[in-house]
Amino acid sequence: MSRKVVEIAGRRFALSNLEKELYPSHGFTKGQVLEYYRRMTEFILPHLKDRALTLKRYPDGVEKDFFFEKRCPLHHPPWVETAEVFHKGERMTACLVNNPETLLWVENLASLELHVPLARTSSPETPDAMVFDLDPGEQATILDCARVALILRELLTRLELASYPKTSGQKGLHVFVPLNFQGATFDDTKKFSKAVAVIMQKNYPDLVTAKMAKEQRKGKVFINWSQNDASKTMICVYSLRAREKPFVSFPLEWGELEHPAGQGNPEGLQVMYSEAVSRAEKMGDLFREVLVKKQKLPHL
Amino acid sequence: MAVQGMWSGTISFSLVAIPVHVVKAVKPGRITFRTLHSKDYSPLARRMFCPKQGEIVPPDEIVRGYEISPDKFIPVTDEELESVSPERSRTIEIIEFIDMNEVDPIYFDHPYYLVPSKGGEKAYRLLALVMSRTNRAGLARFVLAEREYLVAVKSSEGALTLFTLHYSEEVLSDDGIAPKEGKIEAKEKSRMEKNIENMMADFDPGKYADERRGKVMELLKKKMKENVPVEAPAGEEEEGEGPPDLVAALEDIMRDMKKNR
Repeated sequence: MSRKVVEIAGRRFALSNLEKELYPSHGFTKGQVLEYYRRMTEFILPHLKDRALTLKRYPDGVEKDFFFEKRCPLHHPPWVETAEVFHKGERMTACLVNNPETLLWVENLASLELHVPLARTSSPETPDAMVFDLDPGEQATILDCARVALILRELLTRLELASYPKTSGQKGLHVFVPLNFQGATFDDTKKFSKAVAVIMQKNYPDLVTAKMAKEQRKGKVFINWSQNDASKTMICVYSLRAREKPFVSFPLEWGELEHPAGQGNPEGLQVMYSEAVSRAEKMGDLFREVLVKKQKLPHL
Repeated sequence: MAVQGMWSGTISFSLVAIPVHVVKAVKPGRITFRTLHSKDYSPLARRMFCPKQGEIVPPDEIVRGYEISPDKFIPVTDEELESVSPERSRTIEIIEFIDMNEVDPIYFDHPYYLVPSKGGEKAYRLLALVMSRTNRAGLARFVLAEREYLVAVKSSEGALTLFTLHYSEEVLSDDGIAPKEGKIEAKEKSRMEKNIENMMADFDPGKYADERRGKVMELLKKKMKENVPVEAPAGEEEEGEGPPDLVAALEDIMRDMKKNR
């Protein structure tokens, strides 16, 4: 068992099992996972900051069992910031990934996926963004999601709302609409996103469904508006996903959806960990606006 | 007192008119449960079902029928019913005053409070005061929610209460309930009287509580702590497309987008 003691900002702690392959079919080790998050720190931290983290841990890799952890593990080091939150009426202590050492500590726990709510812990009922979670049903792909996302974008643009897409890192896309104003409520974002989903379904019945039921989703893209809820979490932008290949939930430019790379191969839109690092270092944080742009939902 | 009334108007008799509004006087403490589908915890809805067709019947295909014999009905429309319903009145017109001691509690239907409206406070106090001293109540006819009720307006500790009363034809006869057989000895009678006298107490309803309700609440609290709440699947409900303004704007944009495609 390999152990390595690291020191960040004067804080020493041990990283363990670095050679363990967490993505076996890809030979991607825990050491590489830690290295990925270390290099992505400056991009991902602002998006994790002050949000109650849900850990999704894969101690024996993506092919074995995983578990969700909403509570901050009791043995957490003193420099891990925490917040008291309520989840479905239950009070609990959640981790806040507010510094680089916490990010590495969390990854040392093999929490490949990092899930966070749409609100910060200081104002848990105030979403700072509205999200459209585009989820392809059976026989549909991320390319169908791209078509839906482009229609959605035009609709939002005409309502004078800027929107930002990212891959989910699985099969779908997430479209974020930044809000960043005090009066935002989940009630409003839910109502708004649902109305949009329903009208999209009505106008593009062969492409879109606003219904959760699996049998209604075949060959279509499900616009999951119900993610706009204080009790729900979304995969954080730049987080790895625990699939066969180490894909990342990565922000895209709209042009990439208009002309998807890969000549019809759905994987052309996916971003792998190595590409994620080089793209982020070259382009900066494409999701920066999601954290700062102030927008109000019209017609409510 | 900032209570939302369910009716407002005036109590009147001879030359007196007191503006009041009517509010509920009791809130039943029953704990209610929703019915859920055990498979996914979706709340269940009631629908009208036609057993002949084996189909759910939409509201616009439902009419009323008065059953005169099995499978034989007189259909009655809403308009017809409305034409014989009493008009909403703005007054509780007291017809006569009665002695409350004469009213058998079997006639009491539902209690309400009368709250003085602006400007009515003084006359209200006066009426409440005088009636409570003499244990009198005013008898009136009163239309509430399309039905005309016989009501008694009485005073309890400074507040006026209104009881809807059952009509005498609604009260079932007690004929045959009181047994006539058997001679009662004077000794037995006096022993019974003594027994009752010994058990006399002031009426204090605060001494008693619905114990089952308390226990159910405790059970619910305990289960809440153990985190057993279940959630209905989201996003299944069909009704309501959203705020009308937004829906209209979205529809306009969609039309325009499709035209320019």
